[in-house]
Amino acid sequence: MTYTVADVAIIAAAMVIAFVLSSKYLKSTEISMAASGVVGVAFAFAHGWTKEPIRLLVEGLFNNLDLAILFICASFFVNVYSESGALNAITRKLVKRFNSKWVLMTFMGVFMLIPGALTGAGSVSVFVLGALVTAIIRFMGVSDRKTAAFVFVFAILSAAAPPINLWTMLMTAQANMPYVGFELLLLIPILIVGAFTIIYVGWGAKRQSKEEILKVLPEANEKYDGAGGWVRILLPILTLLVLFILALVLPYDLPVLGLPLMFVLSTVVAILCNPGKAGLKDYYGMFEKTMEQVFPLVATVISVGVLQNSMAASGVKGLIGTAFVLLPFVWIYATVLLFAPFAQGSMSYGSAIVIGTPLIFMFNTAGLNTTVVCAALSLMFPIGDCLPPSRIVGRLTIEATGYQGTYTSFLKAVAAPCLLLGLLALIMLIYPNTFAFLA
Amino acid sequence: MILAQTIVTYIYYIITAIIGITLLKKFFKREKRQGLVYDLVYAYCLVPFILRLLQIK
Repeated sequence: MTYTVADVAIIAAAMVIAFVLSSKYLKSTEISMAASGVVGVAFAFAHGWTKEPIRLLVEGLFNNLDLAILFICASFFVNVYSESGALNAITRKLVKRFNSKWVLMTFMGVFMLIPGALTGAGSVSVFVLGALVTAIIRFMGVSDRKTAAFVFVFAILSAAAPPINLWTMLMTAQANMPYVGFELLLLIPILIVGAFTIIYVGWGAKRQSKEEILKVLPEANEKYDGAGGWVRILLPILTLLVLFILALVLPYDLPVLGLPLMFVLSTVVAILCNPGKAGLKDYYGMFEKTMEQVFPLVATVISVGVLQNSMAASGVKGLIGTAFVLLPFVWIYATVLLFAPFAQGSMSYGSAIVIGTPLIFMFNTAGLNTTVVCAALSLMFPIGDCLPPSRIVGRLTIEATGYQGTYTSFLKAVAAPCLLLGLLALIMLIYPNTFAFLA
Repeated sequence: MILAQTIVTYIYYIITAIIGITLLKKFFKREKRQGLVYDLVYAYCLVPFILRLLQIK
C-alpha cells in the first residue's frame, strides 16, 4: 500500500467539494457530511487502502451513537420537566426573590457551569438549564441574540471547567501526563470570560419590573407553593446532580450508569413530581415530540461519525494534524486560534487527539510547561462548538433559546466572549512558563 | 455488581428499542422535514439502532 501527500490532499479536496455540492443541492447539512464521508471512503477503496468500505461507513454510524442517545434522553427529561410546570414555577420564585439584574445573571452563569463541569459536555448544560436561563435572561431586558450568546458561552465554559475537561483528559492520557494541576489554569480564564460575558450581555439591558414579569409568566400550579413545592421543583434536578457526583466519587461502588440512564432516572423522578395529571400516552406523545425536535442534532452527530471514520481511513485526518504540527512555532501561534476551533467543529473531541497531543510533544521538546500548554489548548477547542460542519452546541443553543435570527448573526453575538477566551488561551500558549505557578 | 451492570445493559437495549421504534415510525410518517432527502437521513440514522438491538454491533 503506497500513498503520497498529494493523494491524500486530492481526497481532502474531493470531500470538501462533495460537502459543498450536497449542501447546495440537497439543502441538508446532515446528508452532506455523510456524502462527504462516502466520497472519502470511496477514494480510499479505489486506492486499495481499505477492502471493507461498507464496514467503515457502518462503523462510523456508531462513533457518536451514545452521544445521540444522550441528546434524546436529555431532551426528553427537559421536556417532561418543562411540561410539568416546574420551570415556570422556579422562574417565578427567582424573579420574586432577587431584584438585581447582575445578581440574577451571575446566578444563572454559575448554574450553567455546574452540569457541564461535572459531565464534560456543554450540551448537557444547555439541555438541563438552557430553557430556564433563557426565560430569566430575557426578563432582564436582554435581546434574543445576546440571550443565545449568554447560553452558548456559559455552555462551552462549562465543558472546559474542571473537574471534567474531556479535551485535557484525552490529551493527558495520550501524552502519558497526570491529569493533575489543571484546576486554577482552567478556572481563572473561565471566570474572567464568564464575568466579561455577564457584563457584555447585561450592559444597557433594562430589567422589566417584577410585577410586569410576573404578569407575563403563566400562573404556577399551587402544589409548587411552600416547602413541598420546592421539593417537587428541585428533586429531579438534584437527582441528576447526585447521580453525576456519585459517578465521580464512588466509581467502583456503583454500576456504570452512563449519562443517558442518569437522565432517564431523573425523568422518572420528574414524572413522579409532576402535580398535573398525565398518562403513559401523554408521555409517549411528549417523547415523539422530543424526537422530532432533536432529530436534526441526532442526524448531525451520526453523520459526523461517518465523516470522522472516513477522514481517518483516507488519511485526511492525519494530513490535517501533521500539516499543522510541522509548522514553525510562530505560524502555530498565528493560526492556532483558527485551526483548533475548526478542528473541533469537524472532528469534535478527536481534535484533542489529532492536534492537541502532537503539539504537547512539540512544546515539550522546546522546554515549555506542558500542563499550561494542555490547559491553553483545551480552552481553545470548545470555541469550535459553534463552527461547521457539526455546530453541536451552537445548534442546541439555537433550539433551546428559540432564537429566530440567522446563524451568522448568532456567531457575531458570541464572537466577543469567544475571542477573549481565545486570546487568554493564546497568551497562556505563548508564555506557558510564566503561568506555571498556577499548575 | 455484575448483575447490576447486566441490568443497566438491558435497560440500554430497551432505550435503544424505544428510540428505534419511534424513528421507524417517523421514517414513514412525520410532520416536519419531509421529502426524499430526509427519508435517506432517517434511513441511515436507523441503522445503528437496529444493529445494536440485533446485537450485531
